[in-house]
Amino acid sequence: MKFLKTSAAILTAAAVVVGMGSVAQAAPKASGTITYGLWDANQKPGYVKCAAAFKKASGVTVNIEQIGWDDYWTKVNAGFVSGKGYDVFTSHLAFFPEFAAKKQILPLDSYIKRDKVVVDATYQPGLAALWRDPSKIQYGLPKDFDTIGLFYNKKLADAAGVNLSNLNWNPTNGGTYEKAIAALTVDKNGKRGNEAGFDPKNVATYGLWLSGSGGGNGQTEWSFLAAANGWKVNDGPWNANYHYDSKKLSDTLKWWQGLIAKGYMPSLAQSKGISGQDQLAAGKAAILSEGSWNTGSIFGKKNATFTPALAATPVGPTGKRASMYNGLADNIYKGTKNPEAAWQWVKFMGSAACQNIIAGEATVFPAIPAATAKAVKTFNSKGINVDALYVHIKNKTTFLFPIANKKSQVDDIIGPVMDNIMGGKVVNDQIDEQLAIANSKIKRLFG
Amino acid sequence: MANATVKSAKRRSDFLTAVPFMLPALIGLTVFVIAPGIRGIYLAFTSYDVFTEPVFIGVDNFVRMFQDEYFWNALWVTLEYVLINIAFQTVIAVFIAVLLHRFTRSSLVRGIILVPYLISNVIVALVWYWLLDYNLGLVNTVIDFLNLPKITFFDDVTSMPTIALINVWRHMGYTALLVFAGLQAIPDDVYAAAAVDGASEWRTFRSITLPLLRPVLSFVLVITITGSFQIFDTIAVTTNGGPGMATKTFSIWIADKAWGAFEFGYASAISVFLMVMLSLIALLQTKLLRANQSDLDR
Amino acid sequence: MALLTKKRATEQEDTYRVPQSLAAKIFGYVSLTIIVLVTLFPIYWMLRTALSNNRTLFEDALSLLPHNFTWGGFERVFGIATEEEALAEGGSGASVNFLQAFANSTIMSTVISISQVFFSAAAAYAFSILRWKGRDGVFFIFLIALTVPGIFLTLPNFLLIRDLGLLNTMAGIMLPSLLMAPFAVFFLRQFFLGTNLSIIEAAVIDGANHFKIFRSIVAPMAMPQIITVFVLQFIFYWNDYLWPFYIANGDPAATPLTVALGVFKSQTPQGSPDWGGLMAGALVAAVPMILLMVFFGKKIVGSIQASGVK
Repeated sequence: MKFLKTSAAILTAAAVVVGMGSVAQAAPKASGTITYGLWDANQKPGYVKCAAAFKKASGVTVNIEQIGWDDYWTKVNAGFVSGKGYDVFTSHLAFFPEFAAKKQILPLDSYIKRDKVVVDATYQPGLAALWRDPSKIQYGLPKDFDTIGLFYNKKLADAAGVNLSNLNWNPTNGGTYEKAIAALTVDKNGKRGNEAGFDPKNVATYGLWLSGSGGGNGQTEWSFLAAANGWKVNDGPWNANYHYDSKKLSDTLKWWQGLIAKGYMPSLAQSKGISGQDQLAAGKAAILSEGSWNTGSIFGKKNATFTPALAATPVGPTGKRASMYNGLADNIYKGTKNPEAAWQWVKFMGSAACQNIIAGEATVFPAIPAATAKAVKTFNSKGINVDALYVHIKNKTTFLFPIANKKSQVDDIIGPVMDNIMGGKVVNDQIDEQLAIANSKIKRLFG
Repeated sequence: MANATVKSAKRRSDFLTAVPFMLPALIGLTVFVIAPGIRGIYLAFTSYDVFTEPVFIGVDNFVRMFQDEYFWNALWVTLEYVLINIAFQTVIAVFIAVLLHRFTRSSLVRGIILVPYLISNVIVALVWYWLLDYNLGLVNTVIDFLNLPKITFFDDVTSMPTIALINVWRHMGYTALLVFAGLQAIPDDVYAAAAVDGASEWRTFRSITLPLLRPVLSFVLVITITGSFQIFDTIAVTTNGGPGMATKTFSIWIADKAWGAFEFGYASAISVFLMVMLSLIALLQTKLLRANQSDLDR
Repeated sequence: MALLTKKRATEQEDTYRVPQSLAAKIFGYVSLTIIVLVTLFPIYWMLRTALSNNRTLFEDALSLLPHNFTWGGFERVFGIATEEEALAEGGSGASVNFLQAFANSTIMSTVISISQVFFSAAAAYAFSILRWKGRDGVFFIFLIALTVPGIFLTLPNFLLIRDLGLLNTMAGIMLPSLLMAPFAVFFLRQFFLGTNLSIIEAAVIDGANHFKIFRSIVAPMAMPQIITVFVLQFIFYWNDYLWPFYIANGDPAATPLTVALGVFKSQTPQGSPDWGGLMAGALVAAVPMILLMVFFGKKIVGSIQASGVK
């Protein structure tokens, strides 16, 4: 029985390969209807417009379904299991390696070759490489990217007389970044963090918000500091040589953890509950390090006491700023009934035609440089100055989202260690010890 | 049935009559619980990622489980949750039930205490996550106003008790009504006798109410304890297992392994362990508390 | 004379019911008041949030009254706010097909609870009134079923429903729950056990068969418990989320209210939910259950009293 199933699977696979080979010459006309999934409601209007343009160009109807982040992945996984998933879905680097390893998504290489799509040169540098597995098979065409910035309350900054426009930082004394954070911190009696008599135990407004320990990525939480201190998680995409035991990381974390005792930042326990953006809007925090994807929703919370503004992450000991660089792309479900239409839709979303439409929506930064520039303009025209997010692209100070095999096992090991550090259960030299233990455990995973 | 009179003296077997009565339920049980359950038990001995056929690997999953620090953690934090949740919930529910029984006949009040149960547990969790927030939560604002030290409700020590108490809030009215139903079954003349004897309130409660409540209580405990061991939703929307592993209960861990890492074989092994443990507990409870019998059968 | 006895019985009952000492009275009423307040305050907080403008909600996070009062949250729930209006108040702009989802929830919860309670009661009868060898053993299997982790059954049942071709249908959502719930069997059996056997023996002697006894003696006598289980199961299925989410698979024709209201949860990682819409949705979704309670309320809490008389 099992043998039969396996051989049937092999036969089917062979048929698919042969079939692809035979169409490799000319692009056939696609038709029919496909389904497309995405999680961000703010982006849906843009993709509805793209789908309309795509329908005109190809005749293919795209039905778009949007569900919020948590449920979205449940649904995508259930779709794989049931065989009735979306034909095309917005994917994320945290999940795509698993999907590729489990062979749930279609490789795009034969299509790319057939339609002579230029991949790497089309997009912002480095983005396309993120969507390749270790054997260099391409699974997605980049459609947007995100960077990290410091979202802050300008009202509070003005009141403190702090200018956040060009911060620097080092793990020893925190540089002007720490000075700004200290000045923005206010205790219950109105004393600022840089004033004598400041009470770190009774803080009314924290200079910097803590969104969590950040686990093994620290995407919005600590990676921009560690990287500005010269740290990198591993030696490139898919590389298993992890550097969680580096002193550059532990120095960064020690400084960051130190803000809690100084009263400039809530402890991990004090920050659990309402999200960082709402704390910022409520005036409980002055600065929040956050991803560009939440720009729209944070600026949307402007109120009588909250004037949202953006500052670039600080320049570190390397002499440069740093921001993690993550981008979305679309994956095609292996079980799709209409792979040709699915591919053409993916190709369309990866093209200037669609990305220029998205650029006009002021939601995300499209992956094609010309469209990125257009999106920056759209944001500016809406009164949102996003230079602080874009500066990383302009100055090439980005580093890639750590993409790796066995990600969930790695997270199981490093996640609790980070939580223990930020929870204050591990301090001083123990931090180095714990990180070294975790790092060697992780290395053992890869034998 | 004509000669039932003759036979009634003897122990007769109603088996043939019982079959049509229980057949639909047995079919439901077999198809949707037993069959998938057995399949799950089989999967516990395999390596299975849903997409490829399961591969039989013997007891490897169980060996791995007993060596996994997450297992011992899950065992401990789940027990912690169950103990706190059940202890508070049961005591408070009995207290409310007695109050309802003694002080009010208002069905409005009875209705009100059931309202938290009508709100879905995800929403309940979110509302309390907000109310208990350190900076923006009303509870800490009141604590601060009283000049007491504010409380971090979601740190690695407090998270589990906090979540257990949130669920007490949602279920106390529901449990109280089950107990209340039991109280109503206690005939008033028993109390009248106690009153004549001049027994104190506490003594009456301890030596009359509680013993007579035992069958209902033990039934309620079997239901609430098995449910409590499977705590999932409230944690999933608040701490999601953290900080560290402080709230990584069995269900959260199983979901992580199954859907996060596609390790369905391993997840099944953990589930089987949980199931066996719960069955033993339920069996022990029914034996110890004789939940099977009703004391109201006088 | 009869009247007199009855009166005395009531008096007796009342002398027990409300304690005589002042201290006990004060303690009792104060405790009840506290319990009612603790129960209702979070519900009030939901209402206050539902009536606030989500966009400026945290301008005054601790306000006890709605902040910048608006019906917007409820309008978004009923799907009558335009996308612009929703976005202007900090909603996600995603829409809810309220009427259809409401109808789906009503149909599914009603059908499941009626069918399930009926078959569970029948099974409970076989496990309590009827006597046969192996009865307690078979019943014990139901008890074990109570201990099977739900998360353990979701996947295989999901695959089964898929293989039956019932994904995207209400039938697929309802099917596994139609024939029994271990809880219902357990609960009803517990109360059937208390039935006075002599009545049944008498009926048997009168030549009644067990179907008749079940229908006209045991079920009516246990009606309060049956209604109690019905209401509790209705509430459970009304609030169920994960299973209908899997099976409905995004199809509006099968999506219940709880799942449809999921659009108010946070959209992005580290995002914040549409608090106003979320709370308004939860309150609106609770209304049918409150009506159910009002309708059956007296019967539910009357419960064992009826059978206790026996």
